[in-house]
Amino acid sequence: MKRLALALALALLASPVGAERLAQIVSSRNVQITSSFDGATLSLFGTIEADTPGVALTGPYNVIVIVTGPLQDRVARLKTNRLGIWTNTDQVQFKQFPSFYSVLSSGRLELIAEPTLLAEDSILPEDQARLAAQSVGLKGEMFGAELVRLMTQEGHFSLNEDGVHFLSDTAYMGQVTLPSDVANGPFIAHTLVLKDKQLVAEGSQGFSVRKTGFENFVFVAARQYPLLYGIVCVILALGTGWLAGVAFKR
Amino acid sequence: MQIYLPIAELSMNLFFLIGIGGAVGFLSGLFGVGGGFLLTPLLIFSGVPAPVAVASVTGQVAAASTSGALSYYRRGGIDLHLALYLILASTIGAMAGVATFSLLRAAGQLDLFISLSYLILLGFVGTLMMAEAVRAILRRRRGIVMREKLPSQHTWMHGLPMRIRFKKSRLYISVLPVLAIGVFIGFVGALLGVGGGFILVPALVYLLRVPGNVVIGTSLLQVVAMMCVTMVLQALTSQSVDILLAFCLMVGGTVGAQFGASAGKYLRGDQLRALLALLVLAVAIRFGLTLVLPPSDPFSMAIMTAGGAS
Repeated sequence: MKRLALALALALLASPVGAERLAQIVSSRNVQITSSFDGATLSLFGTIEADTPGVALTGPYNVIVIVTGPLQDRVARLKTNRLGIWTNTDQVQFKQFPSFYSVLSSGRLELIAEPTLLAEDSILPEDQARLAAQSVGLKGEMFGAELVRLMTQEGHFSLNEDGVHFLSDTAYMGQVTLPSDVANGPFIAHTLVLKDKQLVAEGSQGFSVRKTGFENFVFVAARQYPLLYGIVCVILALGTGWLAGVAFKR
Repeated sequence: MQIYLPIAELSMNLFFLIGIGGAVGFLSGLFGVGGGFLLTPLLIFSGVPAPVAVASVTGQVAAASTSGALSYYRRGGIDLHLALYLILASTIGAMAGVATFSLLRAAGQLDLFISLSYLILLGFVGTLMMAEAVRAILRRRRGIVMREKLPSQHTWMHGLPMRIRFKKSRLYISVLPVLAIGVFIGFVGALLGVGGGFILVPALVYLLRVPGNVVIGTSLLQVVAMMCVTMVLQALTSQSVDILLAFCLMVGGTVGAQFGASAGKYLRGDQLRALLALLVLAVAIRFGLTLVLPPSDPFSMAIMTAGGAS
């Protein structure tokens, strides 16, 4: 609501010059996971248009695109040495934490957006951890920062401040890479258009990542017919073993 | 060439999977063990989630052991009577093991438990096997012909009640230690994703005095049956059996096992046992080090599922 109110206020303020509108598209609305899936790269295109036709837009504009994957409950654990053995001794849970989070922008975030705007929209990956942490204070902060670091290492989180390129004054393009072990489910690409560090337009576009064909069939079978699936696995194992025994029999 | 594993939800190199399946299969054929105790840690180390690794390796162990068990069966190297008792007992153990597995996952101490169990179990079995094998080798070097253990030779176990005659093994022993061994193997196997051959073979040899010509065949049959039961149980409870992962490992494993079995003919029994002991000890030390050495990253993360964190 806050964001909407802000956008509305800005739109009203800017109305004499002409309000901006965002038109955007993701290169694939449905990322399909097949047997040879090894990650995917999606392109995000968009243009900034005048709300009322004929009004010339005055830039320069900046764009931030936030791609968020399906939410999961995660836990970050800390190993410490206890009695000579390294073991998990402390943990913080993160409820409804994005499984994928990528921030692309056309410039350094602090140079293109007001800090209050960044904070309000929880744009930074660390903000996402703060929102999801089930522990407040220093401990939550620390585990959150470590979780973001681990997610970044595995390619699930990224912050690319050179990730959006302007093709013209008002058209931009960005690319986001999904790792091969990307979570299945709905994704959202949320785009913010900024002018003079202020939000002037925004929009969201969803896309989905899901298994298809044989991969989907196996996944569904394991979930819906676990007994049958288990028996098929057993038959496959025994059959393979028997076949190898016959093939190599001298 | 990458292949996407639908249950593990990640893609891995097909040749890597077949390769490690084959390498472990070779060793399993050589020593007459399933090879799960090598394969499960290898997969976890390669990034496969622990529950998927533990559940899917059962398929590879079952397949690799099937061809071995069949060839022993043709040669008459299986005591079916003894195997039946072991299988029944291990089924009960496997049920308890699968249940305990979910509990530990929820508590977040699965890593520690797996590392500790591997260390203790493998360290203990490896040391015993090594000591025995070295003694046997030294004795042979000195030219002392070791007397075959006679079935009539008694241990404390022969004093237990409910004795049963196992004709093929030329044994007349109490059924209680047989069942106890079965339950233990089933429990450990389901929990750690191992067939348990490396425990079962020494247990049959040293505790029950099963003669050498039926030990490996009987152990293999027991491993096949138990792994099949565990696979179905895992498919039912944790739904983490990845059939594609299991199949890739099986293909490599069964082929590797054939070569291992032929290579095994060129080695004496005590040499084989010494080599297996070395391997078992190496894995134990590897797990011991992860417990003692400072981890490269003290922080780790996991996804929480309905059953707990993986």
